[in-house]
Amino acid sequence: MTESVFGKISVLVVDDSAYMRHLLLTLLQALGVNEIHLAINGEEAWELLNSKEPDIVITDAAMVPGDGFMFAKRLRSLRGRALGMIPIIMVSGHTDLESVERARDIGITEFLSKPISARGLYERLIQVIDRPRTFVETPTYRGPDRRRRDTPFEGTDRRGSIALL
Amino acid sequence: MANRSMTSHLAGHEAARGETPPDVRFIRVPSIAERKLGADYVAPIRLDPRVLDQMQSTIRTLETKYAEALSAQISMLQLLVEPSAKGDSEARSRLYSLSHDMRGLAGTFGFPLVGRFADSLCRYIENCHEEDWRDGSVLRFHVDAIRDAVDNPGTDPAITMETLNALERLIAATRGNRKMAG
Repeated sequence: MTESVFGKISVLVVDDSAYMRHLLLTLLQALGVNEIHLAINGEEAWELLNSKEPDIVITDAAMVPGDGFMFAKRLRSLRGRALGMIPIIMVSGHTDLESVERARDIGITEFLSKPISARGLYERLIQVIDRPRTFVETPTYRGPDRRRRDTPFEGTDRRGSIALL
Repeated sequence: MANRSMTSHLAGHEAARGETPPDVRFIRVPSIAERKLGADYVAPIRLDPRVLDQMQSTIRTLETKYAEALSAQISMLQLLVEPSAKGDSEARSRLYSLSHDMRGLAGTFGFPLVGRFADSLCRYIENCHEEDWRDGSVLRFHVDAIRDAVDNPGTDPAITMETLNALERLIAATRGNRKMAG
């Protein structure tokens, strides 16, 4: 079952490191992903995103020109198109709280810290393929619901009405 | 797109009272697996140990190649320290790029210590002032530590930690001196 899902998805990998691109490519191939597109920066990724319309994006954070944050922000700004809601997995060596929160607040779906492991990548792919989070649109945020836990909180719960895509 | 009400248990009374403001929308996105597999979809998709083995074996096959590349990259780092100290911006950019690669990849391919030292080096370069570059000593110590981590993989972890701490202290002292001088 798992293999057949991976055989049907397309993934866009964005990383300025040739080694990291190669590693992600071979790991995705080992998973059975047939359609993999590679970009070396955010600018190239934008072209591929629009022409190939992948199911998932895996992007590095620090790249020139057009880093992963800018690319993700641009992707999430695609309102009215399903492409603007696709899962984004950010792979980064910057694992400080500030970077992780920045990624979360621009609509990153999953964060994978470097050095990556086969298990870490596999688990996050299953997460975005099979357990999508509700997508939220507000004037200041567009991305997956940032609340992952069902714990009580102060304030108004605005999740009462959910639209189905 | 259809709207539907959904009872929330997240905020008790607030949920019952509150209505979603018009400028906030919650959209339920169908799972990719469901969309791609259609009637063949059986939830949930679980991690398959055989596939994971296959991925891990892929990493192992790349390890030898990476070890060779890493050795060449470290030699290059050693060569880049001097021109970087002399102001060569291309050498500086290359030095950072190589360290950044090591930070991200070395741990995956069985060189966790290289990754740690490279991480420390990257963080140092990210906040590097012209005087730091010109001095070059912190850069050199990092590159030596990276080389040592590859040449002596069995080093006692306590020594590695002490080296990392010493590098941190050196960075703090260098920056402290600069502040005092400034």
